[in-house]
Amino acid sequence: MSESHAIRNEPFGQCPGLVEAYGFVPNLFRAQSELPRVIEAEERLIDAVVVQGNALSRRQKESLLQTVASVGENHYCQALYRQAIPVEADSALLKFVLKLAKHTPWFCANDVEALRRNGFDDATILEAVVTTAVGQLLCTLADGLRPVPDPGLASLVSSELPELPESFDWVESPGPYLQSQPRPADDFRPYALLREQVGFVPNLFRVQALWPEVVEAEVQAFEQILVPEDLLSRVQKEKILLVISAANLNTYCVAVHSQILNAMGVPSEDSDQIVEDHRRAAISLSDMALLDEVRKLARRPARSGAGFETELLRTHGFSEAQIVEAVAMAALTNLLNTLQAGLGAVPDFPPRRVFSPKDLYRFSRQARPTSDAASPDDPDAEVVARVQNGDIEAFEELVRRHTRRVMATLAGLVGNMDDARDATQDVFLKAFEHIDRFQRRSKFSTWLISIAINTGTELLRQRKPSEPLEDVKDEEGFRPRQIQSWADNPEELVAAAQRSGLVREGVLRLPEKYRVAVLLRDISQFSTEEAAVALGLSVPALKARLLRGRLMLRESLAPYFIRTEKRSPDAQLC
Amino acid sequence: MLSCADFLAEFGDYLEDLADPELRTRLEEHLRECKTCQVIVDSTRKTIRIVTDSDSFSVPAYNVELIVRDVMARIRDKKR
Repeated sequence: MSESHAIRNEPFGQCPGLVEAYGFVPNLFRAQSELPRVIEAEERLIDAVVVQGNALSRRQKESLLQTVASVGENHYCQALYRQAIPVEADSALLKFVLKLAKHTPWFCANDVEALRRNGFDDATILEAVVTTAVGQLLCTLADGLRPVPDPGLASLVSSELPELPESFDWVESPGPYLQSQPRPADDFRPYALLREQVGFVPNLFRVQALWPEVVEAEVQAFEQILVPEDLLSRVQKEKILLVISAANLNTYCVAVHSQILNAMGVPSEDSDQIVEDHRRAAISLSDMALLDEVRKLARRPARSGAGFETELLRTHGFSEAQIVEAVAMAALTNLLNTLQAGLGAVPDFPPRRVFSPKDLYRFSRQARPTSDAASPDDPDAEVVARVQNGDIEAFEELVRRHTRRVMATLAGLVGNMDDARDATQDVFLKAFEHIDRFQRRSKFSTWLISIAINTGTELLRQRKPSEPLEDVKDEEGFRPRQIQSWADNPEELVAAAQRSGLVREGVLRLPEKYRVAVLLRDISQFSTEEAAVALGLSVPALKARLLRGRLMLRESLAPYFIRTEKRSPDAQLC
Repeated sequence: MLSCADFLAEFGDYLEDLADPELRTRLEEHLRECKTCQVIVDSTRKTIRIVTDSDSFSVPAYNVELIVRDVMARIRDKKR
């Protein structure tokens, strides 16, 4: 993995919990300095599990974390725990953690029972599972953020891991695996927060009631990583959770978070498609790139994290902070998946998708399609192929073909030609720089316009929020107010130049989400399906926004085009 | 029969002649009785025509050539 792709490190504040755990603030956390809330949540988890938990000794837990790092071939985390004294190679505890970390889908009640037979009680088993889960969280963070090694810890250690059988039986074992299931008080704050956020207390947290401090820390991570919407949206983060859980073959997390997405308005068919193959889901190209990349951070196949490309995400308009948040979200998902596998929490809802042995190789990268059979014929395909094969000059043809549409869309989005001209150049430069990664899952023009929308939106974000259309509410209650008949040939009432001005003014006054729909469909003449893909919307959602935008535009144009010879004063909506 | 609110929520496909037959029948049933929605359908179709035909954000040919020239110059510079 190249350091050149690493997210830059930033100056850093005090983190007493991390200093307590490590003796210093590791670069793994410094690399997340844009997101203090995330660091705080991770610090709390590490403190609760590694420092405070006392069923296992701290030394034992550090050894287990070292084991998890070795399983994931994660050199950063191996170095971080290089001082740990290895657990005895043949110990039941080590084999337990090894199987949970390396062969998660095969982990079952028999593994818990084996540990119990070796004298471990429920509290200790729970601590071993949670420690393994935290190890997976740390490895995911290191895979995604690629921190520079901490001073003095650069040298790697190799640890001997016991050999486990090459293959295991897939055992369907009903959970939960722990026998002690105390019931916390009704006002247990983490449960109250979960009820507020997702409407219920997932069984995954109930099965850990034996250790309330760790439930509090996990729910805090849930609250500070998954819930906020200031960077990635909650829906984007739930989709990350879904994609990674599917890759990890975690039936529980897929069932629960499909349901949560559904409650947030995402149709079941859409979340099912993301689980089966997000590349065929109705999502934007930028969200597809996001899910493509974070999926590389799943813990299956065993060697994960390879090829996670922050630069590609930047190209799609994601900020540094959003990328860090995506990695943290992937890490949280791997934590939750490992907890569930180790504790056998049963789904809170009947799962629509139950993973089985036949899925073990379904998600392998080799099996994934490199092109979308559903892609329409692309008139640019041949020229794009020439550019991808190194013919730089062929790109000129693509610029010439698409400049008008890209610049018109940007002009309608950002409001003036000067900014649109600069942004258009940026769009083509970004497209050229990343054309190798264009894999023809959509038309080139759709891919290009999605880059344009991201570029224009970023430009708007740097300015003050645009003014909404005056006197027209951007709410569900919007209803047409201008209900007088228009002239048969309204174009005859207003000169062409003035018409253009009226349309330009009307479009620019539309709220952004309706404006881009109108721009892509009516100004730049993309098909409904192409516009939906470029904006990351389902077709019905795009149609709804388009209709609203058109009706709003109609309101602003109506005074100029109503029939002058007769009025219809009695017209009103029923 | 559909209310005006139902009609306005559903008539997007109808505007582009893409409504399925069943929906189309229900929408037209409402339209036959509702002068207001007739006006809204007619004026929305005209809005789309005016917006589509306008050159509100048109890009002059010389601008296209300037952008082609500048983009390619920057790409060639980078590749040197």
